[in-house]
Amino acid sequence: MASAVAYKERQFLAVIGDEDSVTGLLLAGIGHVTDPPDAQRNFLVVDAKTENSTIEKAFQNFTRERNDIAVLLINQHIAERIRHAVDSYSEAFPAVLEIPSKDHPYDPEKDSVLKRVRRLFGE
Amino acid sequence: MSGAVGREAVFPTRQSLGLMKSKLKGAEIGHSLLKRKSEALTKRFREITRRIDEAKQKMGRVMQIAAFSLAEVSYAVGGEIGYQVQESAKQARFRVRAKQENVSGVFLPHFESYTEDSINDFGLTGLGKGGQQVQRCRETYARAVETLVELASLQTAFVILDEVIKVVNRRVNAIEHVIIPRTENTIKYINSELDELDREEFYRLKKVSNKKQEDTAAADREIQAAREREAEKQLTSGKEKEAKEKETPDVPDVLGEQEDTDVIF
Amino acid sequence: MEGLFFNVNNGYIEGIVRGYRNSLLNGQHYSNLTQCETIDDVKLQLAPAYGDFLGALPPNPSTSALAGKMTDKLVAEFRYLLAQATGSTARFLQFLTYGYMIDNIALLITGTLHERDTRELLQRCHPLGWFETLPVLCVATNIEELYNSVLVETPLAGYFKSSLNHQDLDELNIEIVRNTLYKNYLEDFYRFVTTDPDFKGTPTQEVMAEILEFEADRRAINITLNSFGTELSKQERRKLYPEFGKLYPEGSLMLSRADDIEAVALAVSVSSDYKAFFDAVGLTQGGGGLGGMGGSSDGKSLEDLFYQKEMDMSKIVFTRQFTPAVVYAWMRLKEQEIRNVTWISECIAQNQKERIGNFISVF
Repeated sequence: MASAVAYKERQFLAVIGDEDSVTGLLLAGIGHVTDPPDAQRNFLVVDAKTENSTIEKAFQNFTRERNDIAVLLINQHIAERIRHAVDSYSEAFPAVLEIPSKDHPYDPEKDSVLKRVRRLFGE
Repeated sequence: MSGAVGREAVFPTRQSLGLMKSKLKGAEIGHSLLKRKSEALTKRFREITRRIDEAKQKMGRVMQIAAFSLAEVSYAVGGEIGYQVQESAKQARFRVRAKQENVSGVFLPHFESYTEDSINDFGLTGLGKGGQQVQRCRETYARAVETLVELASLQTAFVILDEVIKVVNRRVNAIEHVIIPRTENTIKYINSELDELDREEFYRLKKVSNKKQEDTAAADREIQAAREREAEKQLTSGKEKEAKEKETPDVPDVLGEQEDTDVIF
Repeated sequence: MEGLFFNVNNGYIEGIVRGYRNSLLNGQHYSNLTQCETIDDVKLQLAPAYGDFLGALPPNPSTSALAGKMTDKLVAEFRYLLAQATGSTARFLQFLTYGYMIDNIALLITGTLHERDTRELLQRCHPLGWFETLPVLCVATNIEELYNSVLVETPLAGYFKSSLNHQDLDELNIEIVRNTLYKNYLEDFYRFVTTDPDFKGTPTQEVMAEILEFEADRRAINITLNSFGTELSKQERRKLYPEFGKLYPEGSLMLSRADDIEAVALAVSVSSDYKAFFDAVGLTQGGGGLGGMGGSSDGKSLEDLFYQKEMDMSKIVFTRQFTPAVVYAWMRLKEQEIRNVTWISECIAQNQKERIGNFISVF
């Protein structure tokens, strides 16, 4: 069980996604930029040119380094690109949630949590 | 199984037997309690799993609707707003608060979303045109994110419960397959050792009593012999005494050889 | 008289545009498009009109890629026209691009303010708003440099100089900057078509004045409606209203004082068109008598009605001759067409067929 106080500080959502998903979620108001000088954004826009290492770095940053993030939303097709990192992540905080994107409908087969669900029930 | 677990290193005394017995009893109570806890958690777990499954499907739909409302925005604005939105994001309006919920002694977090209404980074987005669609899109996405937050709480609960259930089950199994057999083994061992001691003691006592009996018998015989010798002696002097004895008067019969007269009350 | 020498310089352009107009999708095409099951089908249906431009797309392209290619065609055609134009027609066409330039510069301002690498932004700029010195602006590292570069390098200098200084760029919300520029642009454009000796008293002045007045009013109304509940003060809001149009000055004054939708509806009631729109979308109480015109019962928003009106006006422009206004009209129609196709393909891609008919077709 994660330390009980750790998640009191966590109040933001973070997102790694394609432009449309990020735009939509930002419109919902989840965007947050920390105060200068080391202004950090809590979202990353991924397009075809984005390197996998950049995505992975952002993923590590959101999941391990920052302690104000409660939920990390990541487009499923992007999670697919760093699948090993997502699959090996098993902490409760922050919760990593795979979300569908406009051009990639949701596929339950690929979701790392649902995969665990399926495995538990031996399906 | 029980052969492998061995027993605890104790001296086979009655005191440790008592200790072991109370330990066994404790282990059994603990086992049944943990078992019940694990069942309760598993029940909860299954429920959450089912809800995750549902919520994930729902999320698919909700996100689609939200993505569609964004399409409406780009239709109305007639261009890209993505970059501008990314740059004008400053303070999160939509935040979550973590709460705890107690399920059979396990604290499950529960995210609760709330909005900081004072923060409005995109109030002017689409000012010239498309503003109404932008507002509508914001609401749609806010609702979608609420669903996502709900799902996130479920998922966190899932991960934590999964962990806790594993631990509890491990404990249940440890108690069931290691601690209880080992304690039972120990009790058995102590019992057998004690029995052994008992038997030894019994034999020893028997030996002792045999010896005592022999000794007593020897002593008796000696006494007997001594008495006989004495009797011999007396026999010679007895004839002198016989005359004297005849002089002694008859002792009256006190044991009621004569019939009592009836007593009438 | 005005037609006497028009064709000497501009007949070719007008002819070309009328040809372009004939290739716009009509109702038949749209009904075919709405029957499509996949984006590939849509692509196939568009093939006669867009031909080569869609050829490079991969199978089942994203809707944004599709829209991008369609815009490419519009841009290519417009550039051709621009290359053929001379004299005041060329200036007229230049004016058409300024609106896009404003968007591009707003984008660069945003990027510079947040210290992003503005070179990456160049590819996000709208190609119609592209001008040769645009990349120069990327050299600027702070907002003051950018401001000076804009003044020196761009045709928009006049719009900046009159109402904004470099501190404003830093402090004001980018949307306010954008709308200030747009207001100046519309006023300038209006002045151009009404006072330029080549256009004064010609059909161009007539139709363009009407269209621009509508555009000005639409912006004023939208800005008012969208500013409710934001930090935009009434004084600032008033500065964003273009100073011409049917609503100017009385309507604008009322708009600037409006606090809610009711007040806006009251302000626009000087024009029967706008009043009808407001009645149609049910923003006023006790209206509805004039609802027949907007076709509003199928859930159209005010913006939809504005677009509808714009399209109708653009369509009517083609009944006039001897005017470059047809280019403006064609561009608006083409843009609407791209939006329509994007909408339809978006509906198809996301399986939301029930709202697929929510586009505006004028032919």
